[in-house]
Amino acid sequence: MGADAPRGARRRWVLLAITVAAVLAALTLKASLGDLVPQRGGAELVLRFFARALSPAFRHEGEVPEGTPSLFFSALAAMRRTLVFGVAAMSLALAGGVVLGFLGSSAWWSGARAGGGSAWSRFLYRAIAPSVWGAARVLIVGMRSVHELLWAVLFLAALGLNNVTAVVAIAIPYTGTLAKVFSEMIDEAPRDAAHALRAAGASHVQVFALGLLPRALPDMCAYAFYRFECAIRSSAVLGFFGFPTLGYSISASFENLHFGEVWTYLYALCVLVVGVELWSGALRRRFVA
Amino acid sequence: MPTHGSPASDGAFALELRRVSVAFDARAVLDAVDLACAPGEVVALVGPSGAGKTTLLRLWNAALAPTSGSVRVHGADLAERTPRELRELRSRIGFVHQDLALVPNLRVLQNVLHGALGRQSFLSAARTALFPAREEQERAAVLLERVGIGEKLFQRTDTLSGGQRQRVAIARALYQEPAALLCDEPVSSVDPARARDTVQLLTALAKERGFTLVVSLHDVRLAREFFPRLVGLRGGRVWFDRRNGDVRSSELDDLYSLERAELLADGS
Repeated sequence: MGADAPRGARRRWVLLAITVAAVLAALTLKASLGDLVPQRGGAELVLRFFARALSPAFRHEGEVPEGTPSLFFSALAAMRRTLVFGVAAMSLALAGGVVLGFLGSSAWWSGARAGGGSAWSRFLYRAIAPSVWGAARVLIVGMRSVHELLWAVLFLAALGLNNVTAVVAIAIPYTGTLAKVFSEMIDEAPRDAAHALRAAGASHVQVFALGLLPRALPDMCAYAFYRFECAIRSSAVLGFFGFPTLGYSISASFENLHFGEVWTYLYALCVLVVGVELWSGALRRRFVA
Repeated sequence: MPTHGSPASDGAFALELRRVSVAFDARAVLDAVDLACAPGEVVALVGPSGAGKTTLLRLWNAALAPTSGSVRVHGADLAERTPRELRELRSRIGFVHQDLALVPNLRVLQNVLHGALGRQSFLSAARTALFPAREEQERAAVLLERVGIGEKLFQRTDTLSGGQRQRVAIARALYQEPAALLCDEPVSSVDPARARDTVQLLTALAKERGFTLVVSLHDVRLAREFFPRLVGLRGGRVWFDRRNGDVRSSELDDLYSLERAELLADGS
């Protein structure tokens, strides 16, 4: 009873603070409900856009140069490029995420310190481990706190519009996110088997790879699949910057007011994401469950 | 000190504690314990929970260093061994943990093969994990057959019952070709019939293979039935250490009833 009272009071203060923050934010932004009413013309455009939702285009709606493939094949090609960008970025991010995830996990380093080894290697661990761990954490935060669109802007300015730009722009924040989540999963994995293997004389790397990692692996795989879906969406969105993915086709059609084509490409994106979801679900059921 | 070593116990380890004390945060868990087990000897460690049984066993595979005193395995003080020697020693000491400490989402085979890690380089361990050799598989299969679950070789470990998982943990320890086997409350989580089977299996294996066996047990009757020597531990001290036949039932009762008296005293 006595212990509950201050907790209740604190909860009230938190709720009050959140409310105050919301009101202040609304006032600062001069937000009003009136802004949600579309302008004249805008409403008509939106209506025309949604009117095509159930009747996507099956052929190009405007003039296209001679030799342009049919809309179906254009959409298919854009889907393929979206997938290729996503796969390329994800492969890089996965490799980087696994390495940084290990270096950023405290389980990796704590195991090393407890492990003994020669006096020289123990000194090495004591001197180097904290700085490597710290550097990995800083790197992870730096990579993931900048969004892939901002990385894309940066690389576009530096390198221009080439395919590597898009891949690297996606891969950097994804590496950071994967590394952060992987390191947490490794740290949260039960350590009983790891201790048992150490007790049976296994080396540090063996304990980590065979006692600890298998416990975290199912979660790590599930999360990597989820991030792969995200990478495909990111790859599509980067098309708005001119990379030849679905986003490029969508923005081009939208600017020409070819709303039927926009819907065709949007549905293509849905098919792609749902396809990956189904595929990863099947793999997960086979290997993880 | 009476010796109950079998003829096969040439390579078995002698286990010894000399005036060993262990304290966690100034709380004494073991207090000046003297204890010696001859190579190939079979010993039960009995006593109430909190008596220091687990701590005592962990000293012998160097999972824990004593606060004072000397822990000796195979004739030498563990504190004087190099890390490399300690690793070699650990690879020859099997330990069956109370919570079994298996990797649940790996196959039974893989968990058993983990027993050999202490003798393998990282690369050869990785090779074993990915492509176990026929000879390795056969050795694991023979051991699983011996502990009574031969047909489970390729099953995922988490599909097994508690009793079967316990057999896997024992097979993993046997795969180490142990010179000593330490078991920490190996039967605390199975029903009485299975517990009896398991203790019988452990003592039979010790006789068959000649390793030194120390088992901590809650169940005094099992200790009475299968072990030639009983060590009673209470409050971090050796309460008695005698041949099974020489331990009076009243002594065993005392081991636990004294604690009840203490609990009542603490509660007031």
